[in-house]
Amino acid sequence: MINRFGLVGALIGFIAFSGLSFSARAAEIEEGSRQFIQAVADQAIKSLTAKDTAKAARVTQFRILFNEKFAVKSIGKFVLGRHWNKASEAEKEEYLGLFEDLMVISYVDRFKSYAGEALSLKDARQENETTVTVFSEIKRPGGAKPIRVNWRVGTNGTIYKILDVVVEGTSMSSTLRSDFGSIVRQKNGEVAGLIEELKKKTTLLKADSQ
Amino acid sequence: MPDPADPEAVIEFMQVNDPLEPTNRQIFAVNRGIDATVLKPIAETYRDMVPATARTGLSNFLNNLRTPVILLNNILQGELDHSMATISRFLVNSTVGIFGLADVAAELGMPAQPEDFGQTLAVWGVPSGPFLMLPLFGPSNPRDTVGLVVDMLTDPLNLWSTNTDRTELALSRAFVNTIDQRTANLELLNEVEKSSLDFYAAIRSLYRQRRTHEISNGLIQDQVDANLTAGFPDSPDINVNELSRRE
Repeated sequence: MINRFGLVGALIGFIAFSGLSFSARAAEIEEGSRQFIQAVADQAIKSLTAKDTAKAARVTQFRILFNEKFAVKSIGKFVLGRHWNKASEAEKEEYLGLFEDLMVISYVDRFKSYAGEALSLKDARQENETTVTVFSEIKRPGGAKPIRVNWRVGTNGTIYKILDVVVEGTSMSSTLRSDFGSIVRQKNGEVAGLIEELKKKTTLLKADSQ
Repeated sequence: MPDPADPEAVIEFMQVNDPLEPTNRQIFAVNRGIDATVLKPIAETYRDMVPATARTGLSNFLNNLRTPVILLNNILQGELDHSMATISRFLVNSTVGIFGLADVAAELGMPAQPEDFGQTLAVWGVPSGPFLMLPLFGPSNPRDTVGLVVDMLTDPLNLWSTNTDRTELALSRAFVNTIDQRTANLELLNEVEKSSLDFYAAIRSLYRQRRTHEISNGLIQDQVDANLTAGFPDSPDINVNELSRRE
């Protein structure tokens, strides 16, 4: 009998302990994600908002930040959706490079307004084992209603990367997925067709930002 | 129509839910033309000429005028708490907030929670139906189109002005509302237009996400897309410093 109680007790103890350590880990990665987003914002303010910085220099700075802080490949893969598996290795490589270009050139200014001085971080919440949402608000001039921005952070406990930016309920990654998906459909399901369009777009944007 | 032998393509077709896409795209093109020549220039001039504080005041004033429609839909959705909040907001903002020009209630912890009949239909379980691009009114669906008409018909100010031969009052308000909305979305739409490959598809996605967000009163946005997190952190990019990859 004693043995049996001992076993049950150990089991209960184990369950209670693992529950405890789970919530301790949750608190840990929630705080870690908050600090991570704060660090991203600090870096963005430092490197993107200097007044005399030319567009080309800001693009270079944002490319560094984007690669360091965003899960570029995970997002790129998600955005391509079911077409990812159809693409050849060479296509995947080319697509990811162009995807990065498009994001860096077209989001540099928008990112500055999201992660700039007006950003105020709220709490964070663990969504699943590897994902935390950090809630924040962007203050606007003239007393207008602040914009709610949720940062979706992927983490393994040591490394943190942004998976998505959700502005007032609209997800950057989901919107891109619909956008790119529509292009692939128009190109008869060929990823090569999407790559062509991405090339045209990035060339155009690069010419504009000169 | 997708190839019925390709189940993934069929699922995609259902998700896109836009059987009238060719017509919708034509209407979108016309709307964009009107926007570029009329609405956007007015919105830009308004933004550049009028200080932010004054623009916020007008937005608040217009939102305060929507109180009866919001309250009606709070009640129709069976949301007692929200109904009380709507009434409190109106009383505070119409008095302390000087005719609704200042959103004092939001600062007191009662933020605006806009409701409309399209949202009420959704709460009642009416499906949205396929995507629709309405002439002038823009992205919608059958459910929100019905909502739009019901909102116009149940607005006391609209009813009063049309019944007393003051239709121009209702029309002016609709026009000012449109400019207010367009001004609020100037930057976002510019950015989306610039960065998207298919502006129409991006707008369709943004409209649906925004409506889902509004219908759930902001709760849906917190759901994580499993497809996005599935590959993480196993995805190679977490362990590889890619800085050198493209420089």
